[in-house]
Amino acid sequence: MRERWMDHRSRSLAVLLVVLIVAMVPAGAVQSQDKKPIVIAVPVGLSGVNSVVAPAVVQSGELAVEEINAKGGVLGRKLQLVPLDDESGPAGAVKAFNTAIRQHKADTIITMETSAARNAGAPIAERAKTLFIYTSFYEGRACGKTLFVNAWVPEQVVPPLIKFMTDDKKVKKWFAVGSDYAFGRGMIEAAKSTIKGVGGTILGEEYQPLQQSDWTAIISKIRAANPDGIIYSTSGGGPNIDFMKQFKAAGLKMPVGSLSIDELTAEAGGNAAEGVYYTGDYFTGLDNPENKKFLDAMKKKFAAGLKTPNSLSEPEYDGVYAYAMAVEKAGTTDAEKLVQVLPTIVFKGPRGQVQMNKQHHAPLPVYLAQVQADGKTKVLKSFGLVDPGNQCPKLK
Amino acid sequence: MFTTQLLDVVTTAGVLYIVALGLLIVYGVLKIINLAHGAFLAAGAYAGVVTTELGWNPWTAPLLAFVIGVAVAALVEWRVLRGLYARPLDTILATWGLNIIVVQLITLYFGREIHFAESAIGRAINVGGATYSEYRLVLLLLAVVLGVAVWLVMQRTQIGIVARAVIMNEELAQALGINTGLVRFVTFGLGAGLAALAGALLTPLISVHPNLGVPWLINAFMLVLVAGVSLANLALAALVLGGAQVLVSSYGNPVLGSLTIVILAVVILRFRTITI
Repeated sequence: MRERWMDHRSRSLAVLLVVLIVAMVPAGAVQSQDKKPIVIAVPVGLSGVNSVVAPAVVQSGELAVEEINAKGGVLGRKLQLVPLDDESGPAGAVKAFNTAIRQHKADTIITMETSAARNAGAPIAERAKTLFIYTSFYEGRACGKTLFVNAWVPEQVVPPLIKFMTDDKKVKKWFAVGSDYAFGRGMIEAAKSTIKGVGGTILGEEYQPLQQSDWTAIISKIRAANPDGIIYSTSGGGPNIDFMKQFKAAGLKMPVGSLSIDELTAEAGGNAAEGVYYTGDYFTGLDNPENKKFLDAMKKKFAAGLKTPNSLSEPEYDGVYAYAMAVEKAGTTDAEKLVQVLPTIVFKGPRGQVQMNKQHHAPLPVYLAQVQADGKTKVLKSFGLVDPGNQCPKLK
Repeated sequence: MFTTQLLDVVTTAGVLYIVALGLLIVYGVLKIINLAHGAFLAAGAYAGVVTTELGWNPWTAPLLAFVIGVAVAALVEWRVLRGLYARPLDTILATWGLNIIVVQLITLYFGREIHFAESAIGRAINVGGATYSEYRLVLLLLAVVLGVAVWLVMQRTQIGIVARAVIMNEELAQALGINTGLVRFVTFGLGAGLAALAGALLTPLISVHPNLGVPWLINAFMLVLVAGVSLANLALAALVLGGAQVLVSSYGNPVLGSLTIVILAVVILRFRTITI
C-alpha cells in the first residue's frame, strides 16, 4: 500500500499556507497601485572604503523622502528609501542591485558609489529597465539608456581651478602631483590639458604609490623645480593631509590647487591644508536659502547623529527630488517614460540649479573655495553653471 | 640639491629606524615577528589625537603612546602569547589576530575617518644652504638617541645582559637560573611601547587613521629580516634601504622607489652568508 501522500503535520502546514495566501490576496488588492510606496533603492558602501561617507548619503536621501512624504508623496503614493550595502565594490554592487530590483521591487536606484561598483551595477539596472541616478562625482563618460548623473565630471571642476590660479595667482610654471591610480592620473591629465590650453608649462609630474605615505622624494623634486604653483590629486582623505603636512613642513610656500581634498578631510587635517584652493559643486558654507534650509532640516532630523553633509552626499538629496518631480510630471514610474521626462526637470537645491539635460549629465554650479587656518572651508566665488561637455555623444 | 638629497636619505633612514626598532627588539629576544606592530603604531598615533583633544603639549603624545603600548602588550603577553612560545608559527597568527582586534577597536571608537593630531614642530629651517623640515631633523636626532639608549640598556644594565643571554642561548640561560619568562614579558612590552612611541612621532608627517601602520609594518619587516638582531645592522639597513628608496624615487620615480626596499631586501637575503 502506498504511504499516505502527506502526514498530519505537513497537511496542517499546507492548510496554513493556503489560508495565508487567501488572506494576502485582498490585502494585496487593497495595497494596489495607489497605496504601494514608490521604492528608491540606495546601494551604497556601508562597508569598505566608502563607509566614511555612506551614512551621510543615506541621511540626505532620508531627508528628501521625509520632506516629499510630508507633502503627500508623489501621485498619492509615499516614497520609501531602501539603503543596501554594496561593500564599496563591484561584487557587492551586483548583489545589492539584484536585491534592490528582485526583492525590493525598486522603482529606481539613486546612489553614490565607487566607479567599479557603478560599472557593475549599471548594466543590471539597465537590463531590468530601472532608472539609475548616479550621485557621485566621477571620472566621466559612463553612459547608459537608464543611467543619469547629477554630480560633477573633471571637465566641470578642473578648468575653473586652473584658470583661477593662472589669472589670479599668476601661476605659469606648474608641478603636477598625483596618487598612482586611475582617478588621480585622470584628474592630472585633465589638469595638464587645461594648463596647456591656457599657455602654462608643466615643469614636472610625479605619482606616488597609493600605500606610500612618505612624500619626501617628491617634495625635494618640487623644490628643485621651483614652480609657481602646484596642482595635485591624491586618493581621497588621508593622503591629502599627508602630502600637505610634509609640503608645509618642508617650508614650501607656492599656491596649491587640490583636485582631491574635501571639506571633512580639510577640517580633520587642522591647519595642514591651510591656503589650499579647490573647486566643487557643494560646500556646507554655500550662502543660499536652499542650502540654509537643507542644513537646518538635516540638523533637526538627525541631531547628534548627523553626518556632516558634503559634496558626495548632498547630490543624493537633489537626485531624490529630481526623481519625484519627474514621476509627478510623467504621471508614472515607468522608466521608459521617465528617461524622456527627467532631462526636462529643473531642481533648485542647496547646490543651485541642477538639470540633467546634457547627455544624461548636468551643467552644475561650480564654486571656488579655500581652506582656512582652522581647517574650515570658505567659499570664495561662484563660476556659475559649468557645462559637462560631451560625456555621452550617443545620448541626447 | 645635493644637501637636500643627503638630508632626505639620512632623515628617511632615521624614520625607518624609529619605526623598526620595536619590531627588532621583539624579534631578537622572543624570536617572533610581531605582526601587531602596525596596530601599535596606529594606537600610538591616536595617543596624539587624544592629547590634542585634551589640549596637552604635543610632546606628551609619545610618552602617553609608550605607556599605552606597554600596557596593551603586557596584557597580551600575559593572557595570549605566553602559552604560544612553544609554537612559533602560531604566534604569527596570534599577533596578526591582535593586529586586527586593535585596529577594529580603534575604528569602533574613533571611526574610519582621519583625525587631527597637533604637531610640535611644523616649520622649516636652513641647513647648509638648504631649507629643510625641522621636524624630520628632530626625528633623525631622536632615532640616534633611541638607538644609543637601547644599546646602552643592552650593554650596560643587568636587564640588557640577561636579555642578551636569552638572545644567544635561551635554554642555557634558563638552565643558569635566568627567568626567561620575565625577560620575554619585559621585552614584548618594551617593543610594543617603542612601536606606539614611533606611531606618535609619525603624526606630524602623516594623517591619522586606523590602518596607517600597514605600509610601515611592511618596510619595518623587511629591515628586520635584513638586519637580524643587531642594532647596528638595523641602522645600516635603514640607511642603505631607505637611502636607495629616496635615490630611486628622486632619479627614477616614486613607484619604482617604493619597490626598492623590498627588492633590495630580497637580494641582500639571497647573498648574505652570515646567519643570525
